[in-house]
Amino acid sequence: MSRTLGWRALVAVFLRAFLIQGSWNYRTMQGSGFAFSLVPALRELHGDDVKGYEEALRRHLEHFNAHPYLAHLALGAVLRLEAEGEGAEGIRRFKGAIRGPLGGIGDALVWASWLPAVSLTALSLIWLGFSGWWVILGFLALYNSGHLSLRLWSFRAGWAGGRAVGRLLGAAALTGWTERVRSVAGLALGLFIGVILAGEGGLGSAGASWTALAAAAFVVGAVVGQRLWRPATAAVVAAVALLATWGWIA
Amino acid sequence: MDLFLLTALAGAVLALDGTSMAQTMVSRPLVAAPVTGWLLGDPTLGLAIGALLEVYLLVSFPTGGARSPEGATAAVVAVATAAGVDAPGAVPLGVAMGLIWGQVGGLTVSGIRKVNARLVPGPEAPQPDRISAAHALAVALDGLRGAAAAVVGVALGRPLVSLLASSWPLGGTESRALLLAGGAVCAGILLRSLGGFRRHRIVLALGMAVGLVGARFL
Repeated sequence: MSRTLGWRALVAVFLRAFLIQGSWNYRTMQGSGFAFSLVPALRELHGDDVKGYEEALRRHLEHFNAHPYLAHLALGAVLRLEAEGEGAEGIRRFKGAIRGPLGGIGDALVWASWLPAVSLTALSLIWLGFSGWWVILGFLALYNSGHLSLRLWSFRAGWAGGRAVGRLLGAAALTGWTERVRSVAGLALGLFIGVILAGEGGLGSAGASWTALAAAAFVVGAVVGQRLWRPATAAVVAAVALLATWGWIA
Repeated sequence: MDLFLLTALAGAVLALDGTSMAQTMVSRPLVAAPVTGWLLGDPTLGLAIGALLEVYLLVSFPTGGARSPEGATAAVVAVATAAGVDAPGAVPLGVAMGLIWGQVGGLTVSGIRKVNARLVPGPEAPQPDRISAAHALAVALDGLRGAAAAVVGVALGRPLVSLLASSWPLGGTESRALLLAGGAVCAGILLRSLGGFRRHRIVLALGMAVGLVGARFL
């Protein structure tokens, strides 16, 4: 049985999804936020059928997790399935199948590529002496143009595609986009390194020893990877603490 | 306005952006630190600290349930502990304080997630429609958490920074170099996460060339 869903409910779901992580927890992860986002649409779909509404809400309180920007795709698709009268088990299986890819693609595309690309570009401009506030505004504008486009595209693709959204995801070639953005992040990283080496107040002006130390640290970080993060920052904190204490005592 | 009140305000609003609301990246140190600095009357300090902290947190982002340092709390505490401390050690000590408190912030995020599990109805709950109120409460609690974490960090860190900053033994350039050397590890980690040197050697070299030329002539 197919039911209609008005644009107001769709807009309400889209906007609520900006808070999808508001009650993130280790039990259902984004599940509670997912259900929270769907409330206006489920109310409209089920009308006076309180039992049907509560059953629908319960199945969406179950475990779910995806990148917050791409969760919009799952929300749109699930709404399509709910509106088309898809059974509970079918919706459950669909959510189970889609959450992994939405998490993996989102993390790789946004957190690991887009964010560092934009952030490093902004850092480079700041170190080059451009006006801090304009750079920050530019950072926010550029980053969020990508962010909001992704949310909007995801929601529309999910709502339009429903169960066929997997095919749409493949056609969008987000993995290909991730590779391109990764290259941009690599370019931005090189830019930042160059600016730090030669810029005023950077490593170059501190002397060859500091530059050599930073170069070695960079190589070690590139070889060892993420597990070095905590020990490295702890070492910096310890160095600062020791220097400060020595300065105070001396 | 009182330092602690402003810190609480910044801590609450900026921490919400970190996970609960929208994630527009105003919670990143690059933005959060200058904003905090502006609130406290020293945006230049905020920018200096934010630019350095951002390098350290380049490879820190929330994925799944993994605990990561909290950038917003790190930035707010870093700036608020150093604000108004007119001494050579203000920036390095502020950054160090931010790095420590970012970890503490991450712990508080883990804590609030455990609280959320008790707050929100599960699939078996008798009143699933409670979800809207429970979710709103969870968001409010996250804001309170951010405020509290920031205020406690400043309360503990500011006396230390004030005490030690004036006898800091290094000059400004060497202090920045020390912090950049630490940040270089994070830049290396980022390169690895992007796929490594071999994969990006051309764009890396191109970027470096542009950066070197740009730094020379701009």
